[in-house]
Amino acid sequence: MTDLPVIDIDEVRQVMEDYFERGWTDGLPVMPVTESVVEEFLAMTDLGPEEVVLAMPHLDRECTVRMAAINAAMAGCLPEYFPVVLAAWSALRLEGYVERAIWQSTTGTAPMLLVNGPVRERIGLNSKGNVFGSGFRPNATIGRAIRLTAINAFGLRPHELDQATQGNPAKYTACIAENEEQSPWPAFHVEHGLDVDSSAVTAMTMRSVVHIEARHTTVPEQLALDLADTIRRTGALIHETISACIALGPEHAELFAHAGWDKDALRGFVHEHAFNSREALTAVGKDAVSGKTRWRLSSAHPDSVPDSASGQDVVPVLTSEQAVQIVVVGAHNSGVSAVIETFGPRGGAPAIAPVEAAPASSV
Amino acid sequence: MLERAGVPAVSICTDAFAAPARAMAEMYGLPDFEPVMIPHPIASLSRAEIEANVAPAIVDVVRVLLGAS
Repeated sequence: MTDLPVIDIDEVRQVMEDYFERGWTDGLPVMPVTESVVEEFLAMTDLGPEEVVLAMPHLDRECTVRMAAINAAMAGCLPEYFPVVLAAWSALRLEGYVERAIWQSTTGTAPMLLVNGPVRERIGLNSKGNVFGSGFRPNATIGRAIRLTAINAFGLRPHELDQATQGNPAKYTACIAENEEQSPWPAFHVEHGLDVDSSAVTAMTMRSVVHIEARHTTVPEQLALDLADTIRRTGALIHETISACIALGPEHAELFAHAGWDKDALRGFVHEHAFNSREALTAVGKDAVSGKTRWRLSSAHPDSVPDSASGQDVVPVLTSEQAVQIVVVGAHNSGVSAVIETFGPRGGAPAIAPVEAAPASSV
Repeated sequence: MLERAGVPAVSICTDAFAAPARAMAEMYGLPDFEPVMIPHPIASLSRAEIEANVAPAIVDVVRVLLGAS
């Protein structure tokens, strides 16, 4: 007992309650932060504390490296996670939705972060069992660092500037790592042109993670149709088209690889089969688009104009093969995968930012 | 923005967005800015229902515009 540090628990509680009272929280307790803690985070980057990691011109607010560090510390990050948090901000900037006020939208999106490369092992990010779930400090706190910054630096509190109708559970935190070791294909960042020894964060503004059960089949076409069916669901169609990231469990990835399918083969098949019939769209009143917003609505609506597939019975939900990304995550223990429903039509290169090495003086 | 440029402006939103509308106005340093509220919703209403909801708000629109000039 004598080895334990002596602290005044009443004082600790008082500090933590003060954070709640100030609204500096996502609802869970946050770590108290002192200037010396912030210094430890700032030592992990070559960037200056006043450099801007992301600006929201419409709010006339910006987040500096220092503010990102404070919120990462409050989220429970260790200082060595901070380069990953900064890469996440770079990826979000590159993606471009956040500056356009997506975090204030009624849709209620969350930023899903995907981490690749050696940094996963170095800081202990989970890429295997329960990858979307809880239990791992880097996953839990890196995602939370982004959310706390949205609340504290940009003031995006629910019922105020955050107008999400329902939001989604990933708004607490959403950070996964690719299970590169059990993927039959090149790692996601390598596929997109980065070096295998580098680490990277990909940002995906997302609405849902939809679960796929397929333990029954060894036929790649059957599994790929299950994936395409999930992607094309009419409920996801606010716009004319959608985009998705297929998060394959290692067992499903292996099934495709054994059948000789690479990522492009799967992408091509899903692109071709992710469509709705005109009849299915008519049944839910989404068989046309608004001439003003291009949102889907009924052809009976006075604002409606025909969609891009007008006159066809087959209405694709993906604009191109590149609107589908593929990543391998989770445990190699069952036929379970997921579709991450990403926001917007996409089709270009994903928003990947390299994780910069910490300054030599910090290690 | 228009108000700052000296152009009288009015912001119209449904009552579901009262809180964010106030928050945005305060953030722009216009705590007295008065958005005109109409009943929610809009998207699921017919043209006639929308017109019925909007008609009573016209008086407020004019009042805010004249007051702002």
